Order: sequence, then structure tokens, then C-alpha cells
Amino acid sequence: MDFQGIHDRLRACNAPGLLGIDLPRGPDPKDKKDKGRAGDPFVLVEPSKLASFLTVCRDDERLSFEMLIDLSAVDPAKEDPNFWVVVSLLSVQRKHRLQIKCVLPKSQASLPSTVPVYRASQWHERECAEMFGIRFEGHPDPRNILLPDDWVGHPMRKDYEFPKEYHGISCE
Amino acid sequence: MALLENAFEENALTTRVDWLINWARLSSIWPMTFGLACCAIEMMAVGAAHHDIDRFGAGAFRASPRQADLMIVAGTVNFKMAERVKRLYDQMPSPKYVMAMGACATGGGPYFKYGYTVVKGVDRVVPVDVYIAGCPPRPEALLEGLIKLQEKIRNSSVIRRPARTA
Repeated sequence: MDFQGIHDRLRACNAPGLLGIDLPRGPDPKDKKDKGRAGDPFVLVEPSKLASFLTVCRDDERLSFEMLIDLSAVDPAKEDPNFWVVVSLLSVQRKHRLQIKCVLPKSQASLPSTVPVYRASQWHERECAEMFGIRFEGHPDPRNILLPDDWVGHPMRKDYEFPKEYHGISCE
Repeated sequence: MALLENAFEENALTTRVDWLINWARLSSIWPMTFGLACCAIEMMAVGAAHHDIDRFGAGAFRASPRQADLMIVAGTVNFKMAERVKRLYDQMPSPKYVMAMGACATGGGPYFKYGYTVVKGVDRVVPVDVYIAGCPPRPEALLEGLIKLQEKIRNSSVIRRPARTA
């Protein structure tokens, strides 16, 4: 199925939290500053309903996304009030893919964990949590995965300040 | 009939204690099996037949720090690893030597500016004897580093401290 077909199917299943789509487009010829948007088409999903949305994607037999390829986040800019949480799904059986994007406010960066739906997201969510400070409610093992346990701050945030020293080792 | 047979009477060889001990030390520098990143691949190449670090007596890579004389820090050291590197160094018996192999171990390398978890030089954690430039260094560069270390050992003294120039 192509993206349009997947989107139609999601609409037909009444997938919870589906807000709309985000398509790539060329630059606007009237606006010289507009560069357009490259990349894949996305479906926009409400973050609080991401887990139930993924349940539909996994269980619907026409979609049958068996595999979670990636779960990650983006901090678009320092001034931007939102994070994006990005999920990639793959259906091996149907040979199609889907990119999902959630816009998550930085002031309240938490969403329900998707581990009950795809166990593959466990490590992805742990990385996402330590790098961006996004809370995944109900994660079974919310420790740091790459950083030391006593690390201060979330390095992938645009407003991250580098540490001056760590355990007596200077970072200057 | 060998040329030198019976040419000498029974003799004693004389040498300096320093020379003898240094000769023993520099001819059998056993490195620790210890690689952190891509530099370790070059280190393995040095251990293999083509470059053959065994020619310098340093081919016995020991799996335990307690049997090793030389720690080749081959790769990027991050803060989580730095404590383990320090502990491994402390477990090695004296005399012990450290080689910082490649740009990362020497001074942070490509992670110098934006690597938030990379130690900017392993010399902030353990004392380094020889620095090897390169990213990663050629096997020949590692061998040259080893020869430099041997020179350093050859010029050291167990009896008196080496003369320091002010």
C-alpha cells in the first residue's frame, strides 16, 4: 500500500489520535525564503494516544505493521516550544512503511510508553528519555541506557549546556 | 668448525645493571588486550603477520591487566569508560607504560568540540608515555610509537633518577 492507501485505511479504522498528514512539497515560487519540505510523508498523531494508535497499526490485518523500526525525537530549534517524537513502522508482510510524528510540548514532555505494543521500543524510549528528557509513562525499565546514571542534563536538547567536569575529569 | 670456537678462554661478561634491566624490560613489553574503537582494528593489524609486533617482543597481548606492562589506549575514551580505564591502569603492576593511540585518545579528536561525553585526552585520567598521531594511525605509526617507548625505557634508570635539564 502507498501512503495514501495507508492513510485511508487508518481513517477507515478510526485510528485513535490521528490528526492529519504532513506531506513533502517543493518550494513555493512566490515566497523566496520558502525551501519546501523534503523527506517522507508523515501522519500526525496526538502524543497521548500514540500507544493506542500503534495498536491499531499492528493489529489491523490490512496494515499489519509487525515491526517498529525506530522511535526517536527531534528538538527542532531552541525557540521552538515543541519536540517531535518520530516513529517508523515497517510491514514485512505487506511491504510498506509508515512514518508517524507526534508534536509534544517541551513544557510537558511526557507520553504513554509504547512498550506494551512493540517491545522493540524499550531501548529506543530509554535513549529518547535520557537524550531529550521526555518521560515515557509506564516504561518497565526507565534507567539510562548510554549515559552514566548520574549524568546531569539532556545532551540532544538545543539548550543543553556542556558539563564543566565529570567525576573530577575536566571537560574544558 | 666454527670461527670463534675455542678462540676465547673462560670469561665473564660485564655490563651495567641499568642496561641489563632496561634491555629485559624493553624487549618484552606485553600489551593489554584492550581496544575501544576503530584504532583497535589497526592495533589488531599490528598484531597480525604482515606488520608483526612480535618482532619487537611486544606481541603477547595479555588478557589480564595484572600480566601486562603496556596499555595501548586505542580509541575514544568517554567518561563512562574513563573510570574503567583508570581502574585497569591501577591493576597493572609497575613498571607500566601507557600509549595514547590516535586523535581521540590524544586529545578528544573529532569529538573535541561537541562530544559531550568524550574525555579530551586520556592523559586527564592516566599518565601517558607516548602519543601517536593519526585517525586512526597506520600500523607503522603504532610500531614507531613502540620504538619510541623502547627508547624511553632504554634511557631510564633504576638506580638513579634521570638527569633533568632545567
